[in-house]
Amino acid sequence: MDQQLYGYGLYIISLLTMGGIYAILTLGLNVQWGFTGLFNAGIAGFFGIGAYTAAILTTSPHTSHLGGFELPYVVAAIAAMLISGIIAFGVGKVCLKLRSDYLAIATIGIAEIFRLILKNETDITNGPRGISQIPKPFENLPEPWNQLAFLGLVLGTLLLVYVMLEVARKSPWGRVMTAIRDNETSARAAGKNVETFRMEGFVIGCMIMALAGAFMAHYLKFIDPNATDPLLATFIVFVMLVVGGSANNKGAILGAFVIWTLWSASEILTTQLPSELAIRTAYIRIFIIGLVLQFFLQKFPQGILPETRPSSPGKNKS
Amino acid sequence: MKIVRKLALSACVAAMFATAAHADAIKVGSAGGVTGPIAELVATIIKGRDLARDQINAAGGLLNGDTLEMVVGDSACDPKASVDAVGKLVNVEQVVGIVGPSCSGATNAAVQAVTIPAGVVVLSDSATAPSVTELKDNDTVFRVAPSDAYQGLAIAKLISKAGIKKVAMTYSNDDYNAGIAAVFEREFKAMGGEVTANQAHEPKKASYRSELQTLTAGGPEAIAIFAYYGSSGITIIKNSLENGLFSKFYAADGMFDQSVIDQIGADNLKGKISITQASSDTGDSSYQAFADAFKATGADPAAPYAAHGYDATFMMALAIEKAGSADRAKIKDGLRAISNGTGEIVRPGEWAKAKKLIADGTAINYEGASGSADFDENGDVSGVFAVNVVGDDGKWTKALLK
Repeated sequence: MDQQLYGYGLYIISLLTMGGIYAILTLGLNVQWGFTGLFNAGIAGFFGIGAYTAAILTTSPHTSHLGGFELPYVVAAIAAMLISGIIAFGVGKVCLKLRSDYLAIATIGIAEIFRLILKNETDITNGPRGISQIPKPFENLPEPWNQLAFLGLVLGTLLLVYVMLEVARKSPWGRVMTAIRDNETSARAAGKNVETFRMEGFVIGCMIMALAGAFMAHYLKFIDPNATDPLLATFIVFVMLVVGGSANNKGAILGAFVIWTLWSASEILTTQLPSELAIRTAYIRIFIIGLVLQFFLQKFPQGILPETRPSSPGKNKS
Repeated sequence: MKIVRKLALSACVAAMFATAAHADAIKVGSAGGVTGPIAELVATIIKGRDLARDQINAAGGLLNGDTLEMVVGDSACDPKASVDAVGKLVNVEQVVGIVGPSCSGATNAAVQAVTIPAGVVVLSDSATAPSVTELKDNDTVFRVAPSDAYQGLAIAKLISKAGIKKVAMTYSNDDYNAGIAAVFEREFKAMGGEVTANQAHEPKKASYRSELQTLTAGGPEAIAIFAYYGSSGITIIKNSLENGLFSKFYAADGMFDQSVIDQIGADNLKGKISITQASSDTGDSSYQAFADAFKATGADPAAPYAAHGYDATFMMALAIEKAGSADRAKIKDGLRAISNGTGEIVRPGEWAKAKKLIADGTAINYEGASGSADFDENGDVSGVFAVNVVGDDGKWTKALLK
């Protein structure tokens, strides 16, 4: 029985770790979709860039892929964000002129291009075979401390990203972002350089997504092109943001934890069934996620935690 | 207050029932890509696993009449999903060991992130990537599916045995063929052979004459082709024959298809081409025992890795029986003990016999449906390979490589 309780404990740690990584990813999307109104449907691509950059920079030498740099985790994570940011800038130059739905189509295409590059540049990424033996922070500590320490690192980083985004949201910069989202023409009329602001939102969001990718690579200790499959790297992130509350950073985090828990824990129920049924009910999980999305879009379009606008300076809180 | 007491009482009763129901069930994880890109394959592999489970439970079950329970987890062929699913099997379901996951990537992630640190044995029935061999796993990662690397070795042996010393080689520049080709080159040289020329080619070209001209330099006796038949293999053989450049061909399983004979002509190929292929020992009584039982459930025994799924489950059960308890830490020694090539032979379906032998303390050696299933020091099996040549009827004729 103690073993069982300990097992539940470890499971909860893994649930929170994955939830935390997804929360960082969702915060990245929140900058783009929530605040700036950019429909980026290529999350998986930037997530993958982050994951692969961190993997290549931290692994020991291997014949099958580029590597052997063995850089510290922090350096690799920063490099992942920088590379993602630079690529996002290039993508933004081309795509950000497009209006919302067209931007979505273009970014889906770009994410697929990234996935194909990861699959085919075998000298760098080992192609479909992926990169193995990625080091993980604290992995040499005894269980459960290794997992707790990694969870602490994820949650600490999440808190840091959250605080920074909250400061940004309440700053004049954040107000301009929401102004552009709500009424681009009037923002332009107020003398704001809409293109520059949109680019800033896009690049910052993509950098945060790459940070989440870096954490994921270390957590899984292995990364391959299947890990950037859009279902669990793009669409579920949108569900997390919409359910939690678009344009609310707390909501983004809450949505990530709620949806990941729902996704993961629902399998505990289906595994109780005989395998013939368990094989079929595995698909119900995908259905449930879709159903939750529909429910929230219909009944609570603003999510669990709706957006709260920061009070304007010089005015009383309304 | 009354309600609270009633609730507490019913909770107690429920808990008692729960423990009563699970006391005699030993859980083994059955991880696989139930959803995802190879879902259809996995459904049949899981049927193979379930066949082993049903036979074992019908023939006395594990240990003291405990039932073997296979708990399905969906690794979805995705490292993220796999780590989550296998983590649940290990921590929430508290399984003794795990059969699966299906894809190499999903296996690689799950064992590194979850099972190696937890000390749980994983026995994969379909992960073939050579990178699984390299892991520092404390002897907890096994597989009954042969690594891709072994096919390179099998072709090298085949050519070497034919008395051929000088070989030219060409491979299609994709992951699978390039991987086998690299192993072949290394192994063939180690056997004392000479690779006169080695050239990668891009698939789907209209002609490979110029590549083949280059490859004839150095006087090779034969050419080894690592390619898919449709995208370049058939053209390469056609070009070689038309121009009289090569007349002896060796190829890996990417070239195995009837269309090779149909498009080039049986007379043109007879005695000239040999193709290796990972295979179940179809003439073997172990395979027959499995195939008959599997057919009776309405499934196809020739489906990819179904026999491996059966073997992995049967061996996991044998390991538990050998260990004498459902203790995670003892499974690896149990697995080593039941399939090291020595001992009384046990074949698929012979659970009652195996149980008795183990109880008597006799050493056993499981001979699986997918091959001998004896593990090397890395926990890999060398696998069974067959060689295909053109038969008199214009079809491929298969013979096992020994």
